[in-house]
Amino acid sequence: MSSLVKEQTKPTLNKRPKWQKMGPFGYIVLALVTFLSLFPFYWMFIVASNGTDEISKIPPTLLPGPRFFTVVSHVYEALPQFNQALLNTVYVGTIVAVAQVFFSAIAGFAFAKLNFRGQKFMVLFVILTMMLPSQLGIIPLYMLMGNLGFIDSLNALIIPALVTAFGVFWMRQVIDAQVPNELLESASIDGAGVFRVYWSLVLPIIAQSSFVLGLFSFLATWNDFLWPLLVLQTPEHFTAQVAVNQLKSSYAIDYALNMGGAFLSTAPLIVLFIFVGRRLVRGVMDGAVKG
Amino acid sequence: MLSIKSTAIIAAGLLSIGALGAISPAQAVVDCTTATSDTDTCTVLTINTFGDVIEPALVSDYKKLHPEIKLSIKKSDLDALNGTGLYTQCAAGGAGSPDIAAVEISYSGFWRSYPQCFIDMRTLHTTVGNKSATDIKKDYLPWRWDQGVGYNDSVIGIPTDVGGLEVAYRWDLFKAKGLPYKRADVSKAWDTWPKFIAFGKKYMAKVSAADKKKNIGFMDNAATIYAAIMNQGTEKYYKNNGTDGGQLVYKTNPQVKLAFNTTIDAAKAGIGTRIGQFSSDWNVGMSKGTFAVMLSPAWMMDYIKGQAPTTKGKWDIADIPGGGGNQGGSQLTMPIKKAGMPNHKQQAWDFITWYLAPAQQLKVFQVYGLFPSTPSLYTDSDLVGFKDPFFNNAPTGAIYADGVKKLKPIFEGKLQRCIDMAMGSALSLVINGKEKVTTKAFAKGLSDADKCK
Amino acid sequence: MSQTAVSRKTNKPASPWKPAKPPKKLNNPNAVLSLNGKWGYLFTAPFFVMFLIFGLAPIIYSVYIAFFNWDALGTQEFIGIQNFVELVADDRFWNALLNTIDIWLLSTIPMLILSIGLAAILHNPHLRGSTFWRTILLVPNITSVLAIAIVFGQLFGRDFGMVNLIIGALGFEHVDFIQGTTSSHIAIATMIVWRWTGYNALIFLAAMLAIPGELYESASLDGANKWKQFIYVTLPSLRNTITFVLIVGTIGGLQVFAEPLILGGSYNGGDSGQFSTLTLFLFDQAFVAYKWGYAAAVGIMITVIVAIVSLINFVITRRLAGDGK
Repeated sequence: MSSLVKEQTKPTLNKRPKWQKMGPFGYIVLALVTFLSLFPFYWMFIVASNGTDEISKIPPTLLPGPRFFTVVSHVYEALPQFNQALLNTVYVGTIVAVAQVFFSAIAGFAFAKLNFRGQKFMVLFVILTMMLPSQLGIIPLYMLMGNLGFIDSLNALIIPALVTAFGVFWMRQVIDAQVPNELLESASIDGAGVFRVYWSLVLPIIAQSSFVLGLFSFLATWNDFLWPLLVLQTPEHFTAQVAVNQLKSSYAIDYALNMGGAFLSTAPLIVLFIFVGRRLVRGVMDGAVKG
Repeated sequence: MLSIKSTAIIAAGLLSIGALGAISPAQAVVDCTTATSDTDTCTVLTINTFGDVIEPALVSDYKKLHPEIKLSIKKSDLDALNGTGLYTQCAAGGAGSPDIAAVEISYSGFWRSYPQCFIDMRTLHTTVGNKSATDIKKDYLPWRWDQGVGYNDSVIGIPTDVGGLEVAYRWDLFKAKGLPYKRADVSKAWDTWPKFIAFGKKYMAKVSAADKKKNIGFMDNAATIYAAIMNQGTEKYYKNNGTDGGQLVYKTNPQVKLAFNTTIDAAKAGIGTRIGQFSSDWNVGMSKGTFAVMLSPAWMMDYIKGQAPTTKGKWDIADIPGGGGNQGGSQLTMPIKKAGMPNHKQQAWDFITWYLAPAQQLKVFQVYGLFPSTPSLYTDSDLVGFKDPFFNNAPTGAIYADGVKKLKPIFEGKLQRCIDMAMGSALSLVINGKEKVTTKAFAKGLSDADKCK
Repeated sequence: MSQTAVSRKTNKPASPWKPAKPPKKLNNPNAVLSLNGKWGYLFTAPFFVMFLIFGLAPIIYSVYIAFFNWDALGTQEFIGIQNFVELVADDRFWNALLNTIDIWLLSTIPMLILSIGLAAILHNPHLRGSTFWRTILLVPNITSVLAIAIVFGQLFGRDFGMVNLIIGALGFEHVDFIQGTTSSHIAIATMIVWRWTGYNALIFLAAMLAIPGELYESASLDGANKWKQFIYVTLPSLRNTITFVLIVGTIGGLQVFAEPLILGGSYNGGDSGQFSTLTLFLFDQAFVAYKWGYAAAVGIMITVIVAIVSLINFVITRRLAGDGK
């Protein structure tokens, strides 16, 4: 008798509690959050489309104006290489994303599923490296780039960024959580070598999460501005953020110009986000549940 | 068999077509605008600069003269240009150095102590005229020239403009408040700093309480007075004792205390709006009459025109209290480049000598207002007779020439900028009300300056 | 023919009465042992090699020059721990430290509360359009710090910024978000909260979803209302996640750099040093004061501080967020 009762309650293992229906309060909060999250972009567009003198009006203009394309043409006047900068960023971002995923996945796999001496220490080392401020090594890294002839070349952005501690850490978690040992066990007993196991079994399983890691890498590269600013000299080699910063660097702060540039450098990401936003959300949430 | 006449006609025709072909646009001028690095037909000169040292109109002019040269210009903040830029590049043996770098006056003392980071311009010779630095020295103001001479006597930079310093004011706002508003009257009314402060007080007395709440004031920021006074003496932070490095005297030089205290007096008299220069509120304030007075180096005029086009004709230029002053100016230098990097020394030198020649400095003045550092122009009728309609037809050339002539050479040492920033921060503490006791702030400024060593 | 077990390696019969060898202590308890562990060295090699060259070597160099008076273009003089002694006595360093901590407190605490609260709202199964809300939350996180700092810098302007216009409309005096100390910290904290709340809300949401429903069931059977359930069931279960978010937030927060740089406009942290944070101070000493050795010393101090604060975070959240588990 009691066993019957038990069986009935078993399926409710992860059932969410019977919550009350959503009241308006929750929706109001969410709407407010949505508004606040998107407002800065909207404002970028408002200022860029209205021109600089508009922003000093009281009450301020809240609707887009007609001068967006004029402002955009000014941006290109001030920096004719802006498009090139966007392309450069896509180029660097893609290579870095692919490389980071590749190297992180393979290292993460080793940490997650293989057993070898010194492993624990290595993992700890990886974690500790994440605590070091990037500004600490910036000068020697510049000198190193100088010796390698990478200054003013996109290689200076790519080569040092091929691996990332965070990526290794993340992939280790992901592989740990998503790849069942039994699967690998049986494959290896069937005679498959380690690399084969990795390539044919592990990679397909973690494809989704790898893609998400790649996306985050891409985004981080797109938004990186300090190191590229230091290392890139000629405008033709600029990346998006350096280009935007260039607009800032006259004495005059032309707000419409700056916002226009900021908008142009952010818009591609928004477009990308429309397509992959849901996956990113899933990726963040998957990475969160490690227990 | 053609007759002789027809043959002649045909031949003439063919020859003319041939001749036309020789001068036709099909023999195009090479276009290097999209070049990203040196090619067979194009040379890319990289220039690191700040603000508007390299003016667009002249860039176009040079393009017409030398279509095979592409000027690739990168602008940075001043500190970035020198710190993350020149210094780091020189430390890396010249890796990543541009062909040309603009070095601002406040950094001249610094870079003079590291001449090894630059190409000695005495060793370069122009393609046309075979001129080296030694040959063009006579064209420039001696004290401006010296700012580009390294400790080892090598010439590391050629002077661009001279900032100069006068006062830009809104004569319409002065008039509306019943104060003297004509150039000569105003200049006379405030020929000393105490008189300037008194003038400001009179102005503020006529500002309504409601306007005061809206932060309407007399001048943009009293802090600018400090730099003005510092440049009116004979010494700033260093004393020229015959050695390369000079002697630090910032602690004892009375000019420092004078500049500091006068600035505080002005701030406490409430004549400044405390708006930071180059902030967003400042740009807006210029158009709206939030402040009526700005201490204005020559290059500021173009700035005002750009930020506040609607105020055309409402500004004028008066003499600065204390007579003469200087803010800004720079040298164009050629940093050393690491072996293996493209060698553009010839083209860079040709450009520099062209850009900074008196003829071009005159044009820069006429179009942008930057005041030349070439004294031959100070008696040039084009300069002296120039009147600027934006500034109520003020003879800006003559006014700034007068001011520049009054300037005495001041020795700039290595820690110039660092000390300037330390004192500037101390001033801000008082101006923004964070420190009430002037002497304490002054002491803090000095102790922060100590840390520059 | 013999049925006795045979040791694989030596073909000697395994002694049935010898005590079983204790299992070898594993480096990785989750490992698949049938896979040859030696590959691990090859697979992790690229990471370590690259990191050694481009990550560690520069840092070792920096640590080295921290013991020198280092003028890269002039002389380099060994001075032992002089830089560190000077640093500890340098009020600009303490100013930077206090600013950094202030900003960190002003941003972390509201962010934690907001993101947990948001997650709780999103957690409700009756919520309509949950995918949409979740996606929106991530938008701030994907933007560039530079672009956002430009926007917020303008919004926080003293005379014409939107924020102050609203403040003025409510009858208060305009706040100077650039010149003031606390107000400038609030401006920066706002940017940080704006960027990270959504991201962390998603993390908390995921953690909340993993809480077994039975816990809530038994709590509600005990008579606990929604709020009590939140305090006694949700929060303690989030303990690990809170620790994680706090530590990551600490590492990032103590290194806040781009926002104060762009809002303050210079490396020295503004007129009264209100924007000076630890990393900005490092940069200032390296690229404005040209004291690379001193700057390196600052960098080392930052690392030490980050490690200490992370440790404290870890210990505190272990203790505070529920002893009941």
